[in-house]
Amino acid sequence: MASTIIQFKNVTKQYGQDPVVLDNVSFEIEKGKFYTLLGPSGCGKTTILRLIAGFTEPTSGEIFFNGKKVNDIPANKRQVNTVFQDYALFPHLNVYENVAFGLRIKKMKKSEIDKKVKEALSFVNLNGYEDRDIQDMSGGQKQRVAIARAIVNEPEVILLDEPLSALDLKLRYQMQYELRELQRRLGITFIFVTHDQEEALAMSDEIFVINKGKIQQSGTPNDIYDEPINRFVADFIGESNIIQGTMIEDYVVEFAGKRFACVDKGMERNEPIEVVLRPEDLEITSPDQGLIQIKVISQLFRGVHYEILGVDEQGNEWMVHSTKKAQVGMEIGLRFEPEAIHVMRFNESEEEFDKRLESYTEDESDGK
Amino acid sequence: MENKTRTLYMIPYIGWIILFVVAPIALVVYYSFFDIHGNFTVGNYGKFFTPVYLKMAISSFWYAFLITIISLAAAYPTAYLLTKTKHKQLWLLLIIVPSWVNLLLKAYAFIGIFGAHGAANQFLDIIGIGTKQLLFTDFSFVFVSVYIFIPFMILPIFNALDNLNPSLLDATKDLGASKWTTFRRVILPLTLNGVKSGIQVVFIPSLSLFMLTRLIAGNRVITLGTAIEQHFLVTQDWGMGSTIAVFLIIAMFLIMALTGFRRRGA
Repeated sequence: MASTIIQFKNVTKQYGQDPVVLDNVSFEIEKGKFYTLLGPSGCGKTTILRLIAGFTEPTSGEIFFNGKKVNDIPANKRQVNTVFQDYALFPHLNVYENVAFGLRIKKMKKSEIDKKVKEALSFVNLNGYEDRDIQDMSGGQKQRVAIARAIVNEPEVILLDEPLSALDLKLRYQMQYELRELQRRLGITFIFVTHDQEEALAMSDEIFVINKGKIQQSGTPNDIYDEPINRFVADFIGESNIIQGTMIEDYVVEFAGKRFACVDKGMERNEPIEVVLRPEDLEITSPDQGLIQIKVISQLFRGVHYEILGVDEQGNEWMVHSTKKAQVGMEIGLRFEPEAIHVMRFNESEEEFDKRLESYTEDESDGK
Repeated sequence: MENKTRTLYMIPYIGWIILFVVAPIALVVYYSFFDIHGNFTVGNYGKFFTPVYLKMAISSFWYAFLITIISLAAAYPTAYLLTKTKHKQLWLLLIIVPSWVNLLLKAYAFIGIFGAHGAANQFLDIIGIGTKQLLFTDFSFVFVSVYIFIPFMILPIFNALDNLNPSLLDATKDLGASKWTTFRRVILPLTLNGVKSGIQVVFIPSLSLFMLTRLIAGNRVITLGTAIEQHFLVTQDWGMGSTIAVFLIIAMFLIMALTGFRRRGA
């Protein structure tokens, strides 16, 4: 059983009379996992990080670290280290001294500092760079120094505030692998903040999707991608077709003017809902074989697949990812499996949502 | 083509430098080799190392040192507080405004304030200490000099502090540093260039102060600046005056070199 290391209980943060940045947020973070706080800019994700680090205090609510309330413990007394968005390396110190900074404050022995700094630098593949000036390091190297400076203190939690956003695409991919690998080797809890959904899906054990100061949904990357709780999450994570519909009864949903079998249940009869269909779950067929017919209005070649946009008779717009080519102006059919239909209720809380999903899996195991 | 226009643009600058920097220094050096009767000599340089002038030099350096240290001690915390205020540009302006007022006017204002019946003495009288001789003392000289120079010390330090990346301070805190350690190991080293510029613009001019020594210190403080003024205007010994000026110029270059070392970071 993994144990809880950080816990937020009804935490609210508000600056002066401005609108709340964090609105009554509660969550738990378990030891040794890679967490990602994902959301658009201004959603409050960085505020959560600053609250954990101790740079700012909650307006109300409690924060626990290893079961102890830490609201009043200043940042320099917390067992947490941060990798900052702009790296925040000390320009007047060289690589070695930057990494050694935290250890020197702890008044560690010289030989021990030397050993630990060398070890941390080798962890991030920077052996031999000890005497370099920070100004002479590239963006990716600075990033690694910042990570080494954090891990050398052997904190229980490392906070990463959009650390990859300043890097170019290729380097970013490489650092994603390295960070994930580093977290596995060290076994330290990582809390990673990003607005890049691909990054979040690729790296995390758990994702918290945050919007407007509230956690919208939390779960594994698969859970969140496959079963988004609401329109925001569906839209923010990956591409999606979101269509208005009605839940006729259990396992039957109506949208785009037709009724379809689905795997969702537990809603009221004729409840208005929204359905999500991922573009890659749609298969192109001839019009008469398709469940839905659309008229192609545009097509883009994306490399791995074609991105086809079309409109059905009701005027709903559909996005399809397919390796098959279509012709603009042509009518095509779309096929999809009942499992591809994700039903979202309006204003469903995460608790209710989780309960509903759990009931499906119970049914499945009953059936077997 | 581009090089030609660039040379063209350089002409006013080079002309200025030659006319107002190189030529005067060359003239000063030239005059320093003549005695009062216009004969060529190196005797002036020998004379500088006699106790009279050495004492003046030492007192110049001592007062300049005092003025610089006191300005620095007052300016650093002030600049730090300024960066924390809400309307920092306004506060900064208020500090800079007095430096636009003519030096002589400020000196006369202080004669009024520190005079026997001035505001300062009236205040001392009211709180029961009684009137004191304020004008024409070392204290008033240093006080007024600091007052005059302090904006020039605050400005570069303020700029250095204001340019400090706030996430660096978060990082130091994050790495476990106390407030004092943060100051000593991050804030101070990163604002040292500001401090050095401040020292340059305060120490060098205060080495050659001369008007204040008469008006505020009543000639009780005799610095090299006063000596130069006296040689040129009173004794007409331009050679000796120039020689002292040469030593001041050398001192300035030394200070520039000392405070300009290891200009990095920022």
